[in-house]
Amino acid sequence: MGMEAMVKRYQQRFRKVKDEMDSWALLQSRLISQFRNASSIIQRLQVLQDSKNYGRLKDVVGIEEALLAKQMESLQNIFLSMKKTMEEFHAIVLSLGKIHRDGRQMVKGGASGQLSVKQLQQRIGVKPSLADCLDGLMLLQDMHCSEYVTLWYLLKSSLVSALSELTLKPSDSDLGALQQLLVDQPNIPKEEVQFIFDIIFAEEIC
Amino acid sequence: MANPTENPAMETPSPATPSSSYSSPYTPKPENPAPQSPSPSPALASTARLWRPTAQRNLRNQWPKLASYRQQWASSSSTARSHATSLVNSYLSLKYMPSMELGVLSDMPNIRKKACQKLFKQQELHRSGLLSSYKDMVSVVTHMVQTSRSMRCFVKGATNNPLVQSSGCSEDKNDPGDGGGIPVFAFWSISCFEKLAEELVQMFILELNLKRLVVVELLSISCDVPTVNSLDWSDELYPGEFGELSICNLYGEETCKPIYPRLDDQKFEMPAARCNQQPDHDVLQVYLTTWIAEVNIDAHRYITGVISTGMISRGLSYCSLGMLKVTVLLGISLSGDPKLG
Repeated sequence: MGMEAMVKRYQQRFRKVKDEMDSWALLQSRLISQFRNASSIIQRLQVLQDSKNYGRLKDVVGIEEALLAKQMESLQNIFLSMKKTMEEFHAIVLSLGKIHRDGRQMVKGGASGQLSVKQLQQRIGVKPSLADCLDGLMLLQDMHCSEYVTLWYLLKSSLVSALSELTLKPSDSDLGALQQLLVDQPNIPKEEVQFIFDIIFAEEIC
Repeated sequence: MANPTENPAMETPSPATPSSSYSSPYTPKPENPAPQSPSPSPALASTARLWRPTAQRNLRNQWPKLASYRQQWASSSSTARSHATSLVNSYLSLKYMPSMELGVLSDMPNIRKKACQKLFKQQELHRSGLLSSYKDMVSVVTHMVQTSRSMRCFVKGATNNPLVQSSGCSEDKNDPGDGGGIPVFAFWSISCFEKLAEELVQMFILELNLKRLVVVELLSISCDVPTVNSLDWSDELYPGEFGELSICNLYGEETCKPIYPRLDDQKFEMPAARCNQQPDHDVLQVYLTTWIAEVNIDAHRYITGVISTGMISRGLSYCSLGMLKVTVLLGISLSGDPKLG
């Protein structure tokens, strides 16, 4: 297979990566809103646990327990849907991994046999080299994988601990900081992602 | 409402007529799955064949109504919630206005006064919005109550030429309108369906009652001293409210006051005397959370209630219970016999 044809096939893979990243962005905004709902319930729980906040409702026997139970139930449901969202993130990570593996397979076991380092780094015009393509796929997969792992860690530790420590200390600021992390996605630096796509699709930009 | 004259076949019962396509594979012999129902009279047994299709048609009309009332409830409740939230927010802004940091705006003449006037107007707007959505909710629940009481079908006319009517009241004291307790759909007799409807509607009645307390409290909040809006639990919130509440059994005829809210599994306790202290931020948050949480409407407890009454027996699996829950709560209407596991 000619170099140019191979680059074309890599570019197709990058388009697939782009689609996956678009789904990722949708999932991210879903996760943020789920998180926002969860933290507003968590913050509310403190107010609900204090019987002097019930005003006239304190004449309704059992209202405090019933209200807390209902809120915990809603929180449980939000956690379940967050778990589902996380599973979908995982599916994207797996898919990116597969795209990367298939890409590596193309240069290793392709019809053209083993390629030399020189061939891998060879550039034709503004087209990316095969090494650029491979590195790009690997980096993008790495970023999303790390972000996924970080998300899991953050959600599990922070959210659950925020809930269990609720009676001890207010955790509003912690939850706020966590929400900012969900928005920022520190493992997926936007400029770096853009840089990779700029190299791969340089001809379309020019 | 099914009119028996629309279907002439209903008027002439013929023992040779094969049973309707709706009927379950079980013969409508005078079998009694609900122990509380009286034994069917021989006359009812003879009209059972006639009674069942009308009863099925009636149930198929009534159940979807409950589902659509539930949707109306949800939409009125959500409108009311957004009015309540805005009402609380404009009240809090008004309250904090004197101490609010206005920055460069503080140079503008009368800025605080103008802002207060605007907030006051908003408050009035949301107050009336909340009241009118509450009114809608009361009316929805009265419709639910009426529907839950329209499950029975009565036999009218002479024994040798009976008519079956799906509503109204019985002409014959011996006709409870439940076809003698025979199953209507699958194993379920009229009283089973009635009990289900009653339990479902009871949740909304209790929730309406609790929400009324929140409405009274929210309509009473005011920055004015002395408070002009202050309402009491025993005040009628709009003309005709007490009449509607009494349909829902929420009005004490002896006390001439609405029944004070309680939760389903709790005792009633006399409320303490009202203090005129205005609720603070946290109390208002609890009020709004109470509005959203709908503590009385609980699918799980609902199903447990169904199981504990022991009205479902003879092989109704949990799977079909789950289906029933979906049928009742999510508003999927009954069409034909439920497929039982």
